[in-house]
Amino acid sequence: MKRTLAFFSSLRLAILLLILLTAASVLGTLIPQGRSFEEYTARFGGFTSLVLHLQLNRLYHSTWFLVLLGLFALNIVVCTLTRLGPKVRRARSPRIEVEPKSLAALKIRDCVKLKIPAAGAKSELQKILADAGYRTRETTRGGRIHILARKRVFGLFGSDSVHVGLLIIIAGGLVSGLSGFREGLTLVKGQEGPVPRSEFRLRLDDFTTEYYAGGGVKAWKSTLTVLEKTGPVLSKTIEVNHPLSYKGVSFFQASYGWDWDKTSIEIWARKKNDPAYLKKLTVRVGERRDLEDGERTALSVTKFFPDFVLGAGNEPQTRSNEPNNPAALIEGYRGEKFFSGWVFANYPDFSQTHGTADSGLTFELKRFDAEPVSVIELVYDPGAILIWIGCALVMAGLGLAFYWPTWEIRAILEETQGQADLVAAGSATKSRDRFAAEFARLGAALRRNR
Amino acid sequence: MTESTLFAAAFILYILAAGFYLATTFSKIKRRAPLGFWLGLAGLALHTLALVLRTSESGHAPFTNMYESLSFLAWSVALACAITVRRFGLPRIGGYLMLIVIALVALASSPLMPKEAAPLVPALQSIWLWLHVSVTILGEAFFAVAFVASLVYLAARDDAKRAQMDDLAYRCVAVGFPLFTLGGLVFGMVWAAKAWGTYWSWDPKEVWSLITWFVFALYLHTRIVMGWKGKRSAVIAVIGFLAALFTYFGVNYLLNGLHSYA
Ligand code: HEM
Repeated sequence: MKRTLAFFSSLRLAILLLILLTAASVLGTLIPQGRSFEEYTARFGGFTSLVLHLQLNRLYHSTWFLVLLGLFALNIVVCTLTRLGPKVRRARSPRIEVEPKSLAALKIRDCVKLKIPAAGAKSELQKILADAGYRTRETTRGGRIHILARKRVFGLFGSDSVHVGLLIIIAGGLVSGLSGFREGLTLVKGQEGPVPRSEFRLRLDDFTTEYYAGGGVKAWKSTLTVLEKTGPVLSKTIEVNHPLSYKGVSFFQASYGWDWDKTSIEIWARKKNDPAYLKKLTVRVGERRDLEDGERTALSVTKFFPDFVLGAGNEPQTRSNEPNNPAALIEGYRGEKFFSGWVFANYPDFSQTHGTADSGLTFELKRFDAEPVSVIELVYDPGAILIWIGCALVMAGLGLAFYWPTWEIRAILEETQGQADLVAAGSATKSRDRFAAEFARLGAALRRNR
Repeated sequence: MTESTLFAAAFILYILAAGFYLATTFSKIKRRAPLGFWLGLAGLALHTLALVLRTSESGHAPFTNMYESLSFLAWSVALACAITVRRFGLPRIGGYLMLIVIALVALASSPLMPKEAAPLVPALQSIWLWLHVSVTILGEAFFAVAFVASLVYLAARDDAKRAQMDDLAYRCVAVGFPLFTLGGLVFGMVWAAKAWGTYWSWDPKEVWSLITWFVFALYLHTRIVMGWKGKRSAVIAVIGFLAALFTYFGVNYLLNGLHSYA
């Protein structure tokens, strides 16, 4: 038990864990995370199963990485707990009485023979120390007066504040990962949608995109209304960096797009042998319209892709949701299906239909209109508050550890023939040279007064 | 005067400062060091004006593309150099630091770096852009001083000089570590939570900041408990700064992720 405790409180373990965590983190940036199986086979070939087995494709969420973090947390807990008790004791009720030879062991020290009795020297010294901001304690034992003077004792706890802060951050991460949710909700203007694990719903009242004069996007703005069963309770226009929060759930402007499934398309149909014929049709995806071409041809739009590409098996698909290469799949019917083909907004020359016989018709995709959609990220993250508390403790602790150094002066006064012999020595957790200078200054002040 | 004139003038002053600093390091004449300091300070003043001008012209923080952020890093290293030389009276490191400043300014001025100030995409329109980037880069500037001090330590022969450099490196880490923690990790997490709704995404730039932070945590702990002052400490400080550099450059060019716009 004692040995286990010693093992988990040791700083050597901390250093080993820091090295391992660093190495693992590096590895996780070299191996792309969260990609598809095919990408890993392409990259790692025969080693793919090893990579997947060791969970290197999701390294930061892998069992072994979490175990490493757990050990790290345990290390901090045990280390802090074993040191904190003695530290608190040292801060609250320190030993005042020390052997002169323990003072002689310190680097910063001084001794003076004062030409006044010990009692007078003591109050003189205490006054000088108090003026310099030290809190003094004293005790008299066997003819010796022991004085302990300290300042900024609280600085001793800087490292503990950092470590406890880290623990709280790790705990916060755990809470965020285990409870909480994140979900995208895609809404068009006027639409409402459910909020997971909540009674209320969310409605998008308005969605606008603002542009800079040069063309870049300046802002996406979604006006949201929170709907409780009783009706609307709250409205706010959100944008990137300015979310809305309600009952612990936050709504972020995550993305934007268009509702391509309901695109409305304007198609111009012409007859190859009749320049007088021009039919302009506005059709929604899924709808069928009569071409009024005297042949009872009906036209339907069955698909619309905003960014048409041919996939691996020459399968038409969309590469993105941006309207980079808009294309519609149209079908013509004369009784039964007569022709079909893709028409492209950007490439009219490629727009061709194929069928059982030549239809004598050509088509152009003139316009397409889809309603803009706003993608709202719904986030419930009960761990976040722990993260902020942890961060505050870490920063406060760093401030204390580096900039609130505890300085300690011990002095022993002994009287021989009505004259006081003073031995003093000091130590500092940080800024030793500034402390040494102050120590020398205090010594000089004492000598000047006497 | 325009921003680019000021920037060029600062560049020349930095070169002169480096010259005078290095002249003291490599000759017996010690009088020239103050000249190096004052020239560096003059360069810093003009550089500050250039940054202020750019900010007022573009209307946003001067670190939204590689040119701006390199210029700000150079400015921060020049500032950290002035502070440490003033406070510790060690002109020796001034010369090497000025060389770093010159390299950064030269890199920023290279034709490869697009200079036009583009309007900010929505994610960057935030007060946290200021806080996150400026504090992080200031922290990194102090890591740069620790790096130089550690290299000088590793090259030095006499013990007094080594002790001086070891001490300087530690003090710079004591400034850089809290700044980097605050700017790089804390402010970064706050901003991510505001903009994306998640404080941490294990994005490569985030992970490399964490790696840098781990290395300097190692630096601190090996010094306290294992008494690894001196050579091994110096090596860790050098690795730490290289990790910071990789976070800054390498991630943008070699790995990709959410931070791709900065
Ligand atoms: C990344 C993680 C860590 C950070 C950022 C961190 C931070 C710090 C800081 C800033 C100090 C004060 C340094 C100084 O005064 O020079 C410190 C001291 C210390 N740390 Fe850590 N620490 C970490 C992990 C650990 C772990 C895992 C242990 C486990 C044993 C540990 C044990 C200690 C000890 C024993 C001290 C000296 C305490 C003292 O004398 O006040 N640290 N740490």
